[in-house]
Amino acid sequence: MENENQEAKKEIPDVKEKKKFSFNYDKYYKLLLLIPIFLLLLSLTYIGIFYSKNGDFINKDVSLSGGTSITINGEINQEQLEVALKPKFPDVSFTKLTDIVSKKELALIVESSASVEELQPEIESILGYKLNEKNSSIEFTGASLSKDFYRQLIMALFISFILMSIVIFILFRTFIPSIAVIFAVFADIVFPLAVIDYFGIKVSAAGIAAFLMLIGYSVDTDILLTSRVLKTREGSVNNRIFRAFKTGILMNLTALAAILPAFFIVTGLPDSFRQIFLILALGLFADILNTWLTNASIIKWYCVKKGIQ
Amino acid sequence: MKIGFRIWILIIVLVLALLAIAPWKTFDKGVVIKSVEVNSSAFNEGLRQGQIISSIDGQKVDNLEDFSKVINSKNFSDAHTKLIINTNKGEFILFTNKTPEINVAGPPKSNLKTGLDLSGGSRALVKAKDKDLSSSEINDLISVVSNRLNVYGIADVQISPVSDLSGNNFIMIEIAGTTPSDLKDLISQQGKFEAKIKNDTVFIGGEKDIASVCRNDASCAAIESCNPDNTGMYFCTFRFSVYLSEEAAKKHADITKNLGVNVTPQGNYLSEKLDLYLDDNLVDTLLISEGLKGVVTTQISISGSDSGSTSDEAYKIASESMNKLQTILITGSLPYQLEIVKLDTISPNLGKEFTRNIVLLGLIVFIIISIVLFVRYRKIKITLSVILTMFSEAFITLGVAALISWNLDAPSIAGLIAGMGTGVNDQIVIIDESISDTKVSLKERIKRALFIILGAFFTIIAAMLPLFWAGAGMLKGFALTTIIGVTAGILITRPAFAEIIKRIEE
Repeated sequence: MENENQEAKKEIPDVKEKKKFSFNYDKYYKLLLLIPIFLLLLSLTYIGIFYSKNGDFINKDVSLSGGTSITINGEINQEQLEVALKPKFPDVSFTKLTDIVSKKELALIVESSASVEELQPEIESILGYKLNEKNSSIEFTGASLSKDFYRQLIMALFISFILMSIVIFILFRTFIPSIAVIFAVFADIVFPLAVIDYFGIKVSAAGIAAFLMLIGYSVDTDILLTSRVLKTREGSVNNRIFRAFKTGILMNLTALAAILPAFFIVTGLPDSFRQIFLILALGLFADILNTWLTNASIIKWYCVKKGIQ
Repeated sequence: MKIGFRIWILIIVLVLALLAIAPWKTFDKGVVIKSVEVNSSAFNEGLRQGQIISSIDGQKVDNLEDFSKVINSKNFSDAHTKLIINTNKGEFILFTNKTPEINVAGPPKSNLKTGLDLSGGSRALVKAKDKDLSSSEINDLISVVSNRLNVYGIADVQISPVSDLSGNNFIMIEIAGTTPSDLKDLISQQGKFEAKIKNDTVFIGGEKDIASVCRNDASCAAIESCNPDNTGMYFCTFRFSVYLSEEAAKKHADITKNLGVNVTPQGNYLSEKLDLYLDDNLVDTLLISEGLKGVVTTQISISGSDSGSTSDEAYKIASESMNKLQTILITGSLPYQLEIVKLDTISPNLGKEFTRNIVLLGLIVFIIISIVLFVRYRKIKITLSVILTMFSEAFITLGVAALISWNLDAPSIAGLIAGMGTGVNDQIVIIDESISDTKVSLKERIKRALFIILGAFFTIIAAMLPLFWAGAGMLKGFALTTIIGVTAGILITRPAFAEIIKRIEE
């Protein structure tokens, strides 16, 4: 406790939080667990409803469902294109790329399951000029290939999750704490998935790769927590959880600091890039809850049951 | 401060990364030859892809503008204009009556290469139609396709076999920079060329029957005429000579020997015509004059036409068609019918903006993380060490990318920046362990930190590994930069950082 006082002198804001924290934690840790569980159930329910409506867990973009994506450089009149293209291509969708700081519209992305040969001449006749490599990019993915890609990426996601689980089991070699970590990572994936579905964002191949990265990215705070609580014996369990929290929350914040500028400061970025960062950001946010409420509560519970001091 | 061996390793690796990236290339002058038309005068004099032109006729060529200024100032209508080209491989003297058939580009600014989504270009993923190819069949196919693209004159093309998690084999064709407008046909058209009289095949495309094809020589290959029709479209006609092998010429003699002669007001022709088929479609029909009956003739003239909405457009399209047909005649048909399953053509213009924004984003991330760390630790030394380590990691990753000539695409750079985030996380673990006031020894605390770091390292490797195979490896770059980044972290920067922190704390 002497050590804590020393630290408290250095960092006054922490001390209040800590007192309140250790005061309530023994009583409320199980209750705290309810918050992320509620969120997880809500997300899972939403994804379930989404699945029953759409026949899949996500909205796939053309790189995963097959079709054409045309990126037209410069400021393009989206409404004009929308009005003219909708009747012929009911599934057409638009994404505008704007740089927030300069307010400059960089490009408009038009997506449809139609082939390039169908879509390109229509757009050209509406715009009144030919699309070439100077003013546009055209990407086409065949239907069967995209189906294959999607299946493989989902498989990769499963393999990734299983490999991660194996590493966790090897690291901790105890059942409940390992399961707690794996469960937290699972919840980290589910939350961004639900948010993305809710906002109707179309997921690209890069987006699914981001989910894979999230598995590796979100697990480090869980490892920190579990190893501090189970592998060291200085201070009480609460104390160790709190020390891990102090380190870990900074890790979460710096990780978010690496990701968030892509949404608020420099936004004129390739779509694949933006999507990877969006999914990581949502996952990291979920990770704050899932590490410090879900995982921490389970590990605390485990320590109480096992009598670990 | 004494520098321990871990810090020395970091310094050495950083120097190696610097050598690999070679950023001083920014100051390089001249233009790089991207391609030289085969058998052109430039080619025959020894100009080759990769040479760097420094001056022409004594005038300095520092960049692309200089190059086009010098070339445009020359008058090539003169029968044999002399051109002295100085390159890094010596001096070349050209006598030519037309603009040298070379493509040039500005010198690379470093050894770092950006992917297609940032630098522009095209990418096609191709597989055989209704057939699973073995890897040796794929290799055959690659050599035919690459021959075809080379003959057509496409520079900077990379063709590689790829396979995916389901065991499908593809070939991936990537062309940097510009995209030829008829890339799709060039790749997917089987190009089975047949010349038939009635049902007898006289000759087919490829080196067995075709001795040579006239190209780049106005006397035997040219656009003959361009005329408007009554709908306002323009039609251009091209014609070029083909030289048959002895064997094919004999076959022609044998078949024509027994044909009758039609007498027409335009002249006397054989009763059957020579029909030219491309992939079983009739593309041209030639009348055979009476004089060729039963004669072993090796020269044949092939013509065709194409239309466009303007005279210039028609001319361009007809030239391209001629080049395509010439290419197919020279290289022969592809062994399999191919199907393009993915085709992306990316504009280089937007990519420039993206690249600039990504660099800007990287800088902002550095600044924000520095601020967050300084607010937390209030120590300049610690903050600087973290930033230095973070920078080293990114730099080493880029160095490795340059070393293995990896093209950094947008997902790769996303992986790099996200990897910097995990790197910082690990350093936070080290700092917090070493400044914590417990009775445990510093060595033990660093050991604990390394356990957490190793755990995080192995999970991220495990998580990213499947991406090497899924989706035909299109997202390999993302996995690769992340894995290089965290590996460089665990092996080089983390130990060095732990040592720095130990010294700061002592």
